[in-house]
Amino acid sequence: MSCINIIEKERSAIINPMKTCQPLGAMYAVTGINRAVPLVHGSQGCSSFVRYSLSRHFREPSEIAVTSLHEDAAVFGGRRNLVEGIQNVAIRLKPSLIGVITTCSSEIIGDDIIGFIGTAKKELNEKLGQDKAEKIKIVPISTPSFVETQLKGYDNAIKALADHVAEPGEPNEKVNIIPGMVNPGDVREIKHILNLMDTEGIILTDISDPFDSPLRPSATQYKPYYPKGGTTVEEITDSANSLGTISLCKYAGSGALSLEKKYNVPVELGPIPIGIQNTDQLLRNLKKITGTDIPDSILDERGLLIDSMADLSGRYLHGRTVGIYGDPEITAGMARFVGELGMEPKMVITGSKSPEFIKDIEKVGKETGVEIDTMVDQDLRTMEVYLQENPVDLLIGSSDARLIAKEQNIPLVRVGFPVFDRVGYHRKPIVGYNGGLHLIDLITNTVLENYYENEHWKLQQ
Amino acid sequence: MPFKLFEVSKEIPERKEHTYVKHCNDPEDCLPTCNSKTIPGSMTERGCAFAGAKGVITGALKDVAHIVHSPVGCTVYGYGTKRYPTTTTLPDGSEFPIKDFNIKYIIGTDLQESDVVFGGIKKLRQAIRDTNKEFPFVSAIYLYATCTTGLIGDDMDGLAKEMEEEIGKPIIAFNAPGFAGPTQSKGHTIGNNVLFSQLVGKFEPPQTTPYDINLIGEYNIDGDLWLLKDYFKEIGINVLSTFTGDSSHYEISWMHRAKLSVVRCQRSSTYIAKMIEEKYGVPYIKTDFFSTNYCAENLKTVAKFFGLEEKADKLITERMGKIKPELDFYKEKLTGKKVFIFSGGPKSYHISIPIEKELGMETTGVSSMFEHEDGFQKMKDRVKEGALVIDDPNTLELEELVEDYDIDLILGGVKEKYLVHKLGIPSLLIHSYENGPYIGFEGFLNLARDMYSSIYSPVWNLLEFQETEEPDIIDPAEELEEAK
Repeated sequence: MSCINIIEKERSAIINPMKTCQPLGAMYAVTGINRAVPLVHGSQGCSSFVRYSLSRHFREPSEIAVTSLHEDAAVFGGRRNLVEGIQNVAIRLKPSLIGVITTCSSEIIGDDIIGFIGTAKKELNEKLGQDKAEKIKIVPISTPSFVETQLKGYDNAIKALADHVAEPGEPNEKVNIIPGMVNPGDVREIKHILNLMDTEGIILTDISDPFDSPLRPSATQYKPYYPKGGTTVEEITDSANSLGTISLCKYAGSGALSLEKKYNVPVELGPIPIGIQNTDQLLRNLKKITGTDIPDSILDERGLLIDSMADLSGRYLHGRTVGIYGDPEITAGMARFVGELGMEPKMVITGSKSPEFIKDIEKVGKETGVEIDTMVDQDLRTMEVYLQENPVDLLIGSSDARLIAKEQNIPLVRVGFPVFDRVGYHRKPIVGYNGGLHLIDLITNTVLENYYENEHWKLQQ
Repeated sequence: MPFKLFEVSKEIPERKEHTYVKHCNDPEDCLPTCNSKTIPGSMTERGCAFAGAKGVITGALKDVAHIVHSPVGCTVYGYGTKRYPTTTTLPDGSEFPIKDFNIKYIIGTDLQESDVVFGGIKKLRQAIRDTNKEFPFVSAIYLYATCTTGLIGDDMDGLAKEMEEEIGKPIIAFNAPGFAGPTQSKGHTIGNNVLFSQLVGKFEPPQTTPYDINLIGEYNIDGDLWLLKDYFKEIGINVLSTFTGDSSHYEISWMHRAKLSVVRCQRSSTYIAKMIEEKYGVPYIKTDFFSTNYCAENLKTVAKFFGLEEKADKLITERMGKIKPELDFYKEKLTGKKVFIFSGGPKSYHISIPIEKELGMETTGVSSMFEHEDGFQKMKDRVKEGALVIDDPNTLELEELVEDYDIDLILGGVKEKYLVHKLGIPSLLIHSYENGPYIGFEGFLNLARDMYSSIYSPVWNLLEFQETEEPDIIDPAEELEEAK
């Protein structure tokens, strides 16, 4: 018997949120495009804080422009700011694409973003000449911060790219992949899987290099600096001609659905390939879309992970209780994986309201037989208070709960966003079979350090 | 020509007025244009007024619950971003139950679309009740407007009054929405004004001494305050109130009882020192405690005010003796290195002379995102002929600067750090520091050590792949041994 206990939010105030606002997701998505610039239509803080957050997590530059809205714009509208902002970005940075990202303020004052972009384009035509001006795609991305979370902003950005950039042409035999808000290591792992499957992918969008870029001054293009990599605008255009789209993030499927509706590109939504069954599902989805057989090489990688799980889970992990927090996609994926490891996901908690999440956790409850306390639309304070009464052996989630974990003496495995008090987490995957390997090492070593070190003779064999 | 237009900014020629190149024959008032609106789309490094109020001024208080009245983003971004630790000791001798409470918790109203349409006051009212229930031990609750609440026009002041009665605890509203003013400096002004008008003079301190000072503009970044407090204690001077590092709500309310206000960060908080002087006659002095010389000079000045020069001299000699040998080593290593200081505000003028005089380095340029004329005047005064003094430099200008000025080290923030690394230049965090504190004698040694570790990291010699093996590899350990 298993069931999940849904614990509803009781308090109105949010204390230490475990979600953030839409624009961050959109800025993240636009950064994954080669030579693209996110332009935030809002106050300076709206770009400053997000740049800070992204740079702190990835330890990389995060170049985001802002239209610098002030009192006058609040009263008279931000037309001049946006038109001038687009021009300055276009002329000085010579980007391939500008993603115009709205915020609380520009949404509330009701700026006509599409109209303003039209004006900006006209002026750019005059200044740069039509040829040059038309090479710069300008994409409006509506991301009011008072609606949903960063995942919605990411989703809206991908949808805006599908709607404004994708164009029908010749079939390309490729698969579109929407990775979700994951780390460079994860996107690299997804590309590795595509490679083994002998499938070409269009990653919408590919942050793997932009957020983990080599330091090679001789190869760096000064003025302006753009990180290498990212999905090219041409690839995004071509995404209308792919065999299908797989959104690894269930909550970011609008772009995929839009491509399906407009250009008949079939869709598979989720799950995020964390752990065995979810990765298996990705392979089946890939096979379904491309018709490619699943090669032995990838089954060997699966076998390596299974081998490691067989070696470790019974001995060290079985029955250990786990609390998982963070964005709904990764939290649900992690819950399933710890279940596969024989651990007990006793508590899962996310900041967003999501029926999908509850369904995912119900499934994990059935598979594991564990009674899972499931909290949606919650914050880290709720988790803190919950853990005081219901301690777990291990916590999995972002750095934001590091002080809670430390105070309650619960070891914390850092997964998700942001992770700023440890290094290397953004480079290593948590998705795919290799991600599983990385996670099982991380989890097991944390368990060893915290539950076996005191009696280290237990580790003789 | 006193002003410079960066090649990368030629399309926005108005940027020229913001970059001044020091020329000794220029008239006094020849300064970069500042404290004006940023050119949209120019890749500014600036923050917003909300960041100035909560992020700088009030966020360092240890016993206050902060409610950000906003959609979730502003709350998240106001959470634990600055390293200002706090102890649990309160002025009346009692203990606050949670250490670093200010770093640990942030509260928000998590405004949704319907709140934007119908107003968010109801949610804020409930948030205040929730906060009081969740953290009954806090001394006060502070509320912050953001762009959203500024635009929808929620009356926070009215609510604060109403709720103060209901919960029996001071509630203070800060109306510094993100779009207010051209820079975060607007948030400093609002923060100072509100705290002065609502707090200062309201309560009396548990005890006073003839040697009481206010330490203003000291936010205890990485423990700066604790070093300074030790110095003052040794000299016999009592810090009655700190504005606002490791400070508490009620501590602010008796700032009028000090004998002297000592102003550290002169951009974020001279305002309050001035107001206290005007209303209560407490004089203030502007001070620099970065580096050994400034720290010694300024400790002497403060000590002299109280007739405690001898004790100050003794402290200075002792502390200097302790750090001198190691500092000499760094001076030798750092001499001739070119530095560009890209700090928020006053550090650009606090640090330029010390690193030149005491460490032999060269200040190629200084800049700030939110300084005003007075600050730029000081920056200008303290740099050499030909040095750049830049207001609100943007990313592209920074790139050009790195390329053209042969810079060895940039002192900046997180946003700049990783970019200049990509261009092959070391960088050091000067806002929240790397391995601080950076204030005072020991702190200056920490700064020197961190600059040395950044510049001399072996990685900078390994940037490019060499086709042929280097014939002579110098062992840095041996070199260090020899130098010692």
